[in-house]
Amino acid sequence: MGHRVLVCDDAIFMRTMISDILTSAGYDVVGEAETGVQAIERYRDLRPDLVTMDIVMPDMGGIDAVREIVKDDPNAKILMCSAMGQQALVVEAIQAGAKDFVVKPFQPSRVLEAVQRVLG
Amino acid sequence: MDVRQYADLFLTESRDHLTAFNHLLLEWERDPAAPEPVGGIFRAVHTIKGMAATMGYGAVADLSHRIENLLDVLRRGEKPATPATLELLFKSADALDRAIADAVAGKDAAAPLQALIAQLDREAGTGAAPATPGRQRPSAPVMMPEAGPGRGRTVRVALRPQAALKGARAILAIRKAEALGAVSAVAPAPAAMETEGFDGTFSFRLDSEADAVVVEEALRAAGDVDTVEVAEELHEVVAEGVRARHIRVDLRRLDELMNQIGELVIARGRLASLTSRLAEPDLDEVALQIGRLAGRLQSEIIQARMTPVWQVFDRFPRMVRDLAKQMGKQVAFRVEGKEIELDRTILDELADPLVHLLRNAVDHGIEPSEDRVARGKPAVGQLVVAAVRERSSVAIRVSDDGRGVNRAAVLARAREMGLVAADQQELGEQELFRVLTRSGFSTARAVTDVSGRGVGIDVVSTAARALGGSLEIRTEEGKGTTFTLRLPVTLAIVRALLARVGSELYALPLTHVAETVDPKPEEIHRVQGRETVLLRGRLLPLVRLHEVLGGSAAAPAAQRLPVIVLEMGERRTGVVVDALVGQQEIVVKNFEAPRGMLPLFSGATILGDGVPALILDAGGLM
Repeated sequence: MGHRVLVCDDAIFMRTMISDILTSAGYDVVGEAETGVQAIERYRDLRPDLVTMDIVMPDMGGIDAVREIVKDDPNAKILMCSAMGQQALVVEAIQAGAKDFVVKPFQPSRVLEAVQRVLG
Repeated sequence: MDVRQYADLFLTESRDHLTAFNHLLLEWERDPAAPEPVGGIFRAVHTIKGMAATMGYGAVADLSHRIENLLDVLRRGEKPATPATLELLFKSADALDRAIADAVAGKDAAAPLQALIAQLDREAGTGAAPATPGRQRPSAPVMMPEAGPGRGRTVRVALRPQAALKGARAILAIRKAEALGAVSAVAPAPAAMETEGFDGTFSFRLDSEADAVVVEEALRAAGDVDTVEVAEELHEVVAEGVRARHIRVDLRRLDELMNQIGELVIARGRLASLTSRLAEPDLDEVALQIGRLAGRLQSEIIQARMTPVWQVFDRFPRMVRDLAKQMGKQVAFRVEGKEIELDRTILDELADPLVHLLRNAVDHGIEPSEDRVARGKPAVGQLVVAAVRERSSVAIRVSDDGRGVNRAAVLARAREMGLVAADQQELGEQELFRVLTRSGFSTARAVTDVSGRGVGIDVVSTAARALGGSLEIRTEEGKGTTFTLRLPVTLAIVRALLARVGSELYALPLTHVAETVDPKPEEIHRVQGRETVLLRGRLLPLVRLHEVLGGSAAAPAAQRLPVIVLEMGERRTGVVVDALVGQQEIVVKNFEAPRGMLPLFSGATILGDGVPALILDAGGLM
């Protein structure tokens, strides 16, 4: 059985795309979230092996969500999804405890490489 | 090193210069025939241009350059300053302000400026020169990809060139390294990594027993890592286990502490003079002890304000490199004496003058390679900035092995400008210096983007003097030029000449005092309505201090008049006082002058016996 993944992004388009990339590589997307608050709730419920986290989301952004999740589970494996030009935010997320990041526009191979690195 | 500290410095300084720009424009508008404002504005804009180019703010540098072009035309009197021209300059000042804010904020500053630049070019009659592509590209502020002192092995990492968000990736890699041991001396600083220009190579020290292979593996796990190099040798920089620890302190706190300790030192002086009158052995002992403690505190605070020069020098290598590239020259640049320390305030003030000198050296000093080879010199020019601690000062030398100052050209230009007699055939060292440091003097034929029109040396000389220092120029044609700036190590204590006028004491810092003379009353003559005295064949205009100060009637005519000769650049003025009291080290205290007060004082001091004295500003008297 593949690793269980939670995908967090406020855009359906992005969630769909990420899920497709992961599913086709044998990962198991067990849930989705479209706000930071939802992400925290889903993480508690699902305890996934990996989270992909958008930075800009309504109702608590991705960075605050990372902080909350890591507070709850210091071993949480979170992969940030960022746009070009969000360098400072990505750095903040890393400092908050995110393990790695990928930059939009996504290339499937880059996303999968990052996922593998995070899962070690 | 934190690149943001340069951005702050740039912003503060630029704002100061913009304020001056606006202020002088207003002055100019009031009196369009006055010659002074245009020179001041020109220098302000020129300084902003130099700083902006150093920071990589191409749009700001470009706009400044266009404003400068127009100012130059006006300064030469090739065009009158009409109300419309002044209006354009006001608009330019505003635009420059915005462009600076945009550039510092990392926004595109160039786009909104196109119309204004075209207007400036039309007004200056220069037409739009194509901008150098090198200046347009947002280049990174200076960074040093070499780790500084710290514990452990040096690790150098290069990210893949195509990696996105290299800064974030680098920080991720550093976190991976931190899992193995303590990481220190990260270069460039994390803040610099977050800038556009970070190229993905960085280094740090890692205090860890881990095998090099393990270190490399850990770093590669951060992703997008191209190469990892773990230095073999262990750098134990910290001797005898003493580890230097630092905290950040607001400079204003140090200033305040310095002030308070200054007060303490003054009070110590009073205490000493009181106890000596009382002749109480116990009291003497306590007074002596307090005196020693105050002295120690004073030297501690002076030490705490000391800053190594590399904090300013570290941005030069990149600047010189970019300049050399832009000018198509080959320059090997070296910095010596990085660890020499100066008072923070002096160091900050020094940045601009040094930028001027380096630009001059690359632009005018060092010849193109083919010229050098033709003269039998190595193709690559040498440029060195060296700081050396001397007995009571610090000397900073900027030397190049370029073409040197062309004395014949300087002489010709000086004759043209009427600075020397029309039939003069030779320039002595002193005269050469006098001519070179004259405002607006230049022999450069081409107006280049780099050093422009000879503003520079006068700016440098003025800045050095303002700091209580001096500038020296040594040049040999065909062999090179060396500029030496001599600066006091600290600004807080200066040697001053004490003079009495009426019942008050005044202090004049020795920096601008050339000599004292005592002419007889009958040697004073009126020339064009001013009192003057003939001093070694030169007319010295006199200022009677008691008149300037609005004091009571002149002291009864003495046998001889004590005159302090002030010298600033080539200007000399004699200040007539009632009596000279002596020389003394004084603790300078800045003060807020009451409104309406004469702009004659730069500060105040309290002498050892508790008597206050105002410190006279030489510039204000001249």
